[in-house]
Amino acid sequence: MRNNNLGVPVLVGTLLLTGVSAVQAAPNTFNTALPVAEGQYLWREQLVLRERSDKGPMDRDVSVQALGSVLGYGVTSKFAVFGVVPYFFNKELDVTTPTGRVERGTNGFGDISLFGRYTLYKKDFTGSTFRIAPVFGLTAPTGDDNDSDRFGELPRPLQVGDGAWEGFGGVITSYQTLQYQMDAQLLYRENGRHDGFAQGDETRFDASLQYRIWPRSLEGVSGTPGFTYALLESNLVHRERNEIGGGADANSGGTQWLLAPGLQYITRRWVVEGTLQLPVAEDSNGDAIQDDYIVRVGFRRNF
Amino acid sequence: MTGKFILMLSALMFSMAVLAADNQYVLGVDGLACPFCAYGIEKRLHKVDGVTDVQVDVGESLVRVTLQEGKTLTEERARQAVDEAGFTLRSYAEAGDEAGSSDAK
Repeated sequence: MRNNNLGVPVLVGTLLLTGVSAVQAAPNTFNTALPVAEGQYLWREQLVLRERSDKGPMDRDVSVQALGSVLGYGVTSKFAVFGVVPYFFNKELDVTTPTGRVERGTNGFGDISLFGRYTLYKKDFTGSTFRIAPVFGLTAPTGDDNDSDRFGELPRPLQVGDGAWEGFGGVITSYQTLQYQMDAQLLYRENGRHDGFAQGDETRFDASLQYRIWPRSLEGVSGTPGFTYALLESNLVHRERNEIGGGADANSGGTQWLLAPGLQYITRRWVVEGTLQLPVAEDSNGDAIQDDYIVRVGFRRNF
Repeated sequence: MTGKFILMLSALMFSMAVLAADNQYVLGVDGLACPFCAYGIEKRLHKVDGVTDVQVDVGESLVRVTLQEGKTLTEERARQAVDEAGFTLRSYAEAGDEAGSSDAK
């Protein structure tokens, strides 16, 4: 029953690291270059609901409900470190087999990621700022990668853990004004091999626009009022084919473009936010599973 | 006579209150453009000895800092706190002297 060709190409770390940005008034689906003050902590929780499916004869449906917990700390005003701990309430596959429809699933903590971000360049203006910050990190194989059910060991892409160390790096740039904010990220993730399986490496380009819709004007508004932002995020993701044994899995990887409209309410201490990621275009390899939608809701707290 | 005494006493108390008033400073901070970012500045300035209150006006990019009587906030210390928060000190002034505030750049 073991099947590594399920085409669930996004692992825990990828899902939650690239999906759970950790800092400041960041986009919902990736990071920002805005500062974390020296000695400041950031705590974030994001609930991710993801549905995927294919149109092939196996009629596969993959459903993921996960919580990404992030803790960030400003080591200096330029260097911040973050830890991401994902927990899967449910990671489930429904698939048609010769014996009928089969449901397989698992849950538990996934792979933990640690990364650092350094502000390489900043230019501050009155009421606005521009920043560039490289980011580098590792994902450790802390999640269970050999869970089984009554059919045997679960397919590798369905496990909550990858079983291999992964490294990632990239650069983020942000331009923020009192009225709007733009962020962009270029990130590469190299996935390791474990037990004859390697998730395909991933390259992604993300962009975001946040526009303040309330208060509509700051004239006559003193202090630090809460801001409500409308946001639109774009994620262009390319994944290489998975490797199984000595060869590439023809039904995995590909390129997809997602758009995510959303809302954010930001105060001095809290951010409450939600987005709906929808596929705009997908060019999957073979019968790789494609995204139907991803819902992200959560909050952030600084202390 | 009693009225004059009460008047003098009130004036004395008022002047003592003025003399005992907290020291206030107004900092211009560049790079500050959202409410969530403001907290980092508050946190760093609260670590300065004697600071009792920090009020951020994000729309004006100003930070008002209040210190206990007898405590002062030097421009150098203010710049350090703002830098530690990840922002840039644009101007520094004691409250009531904002018109003569120094360009901190």
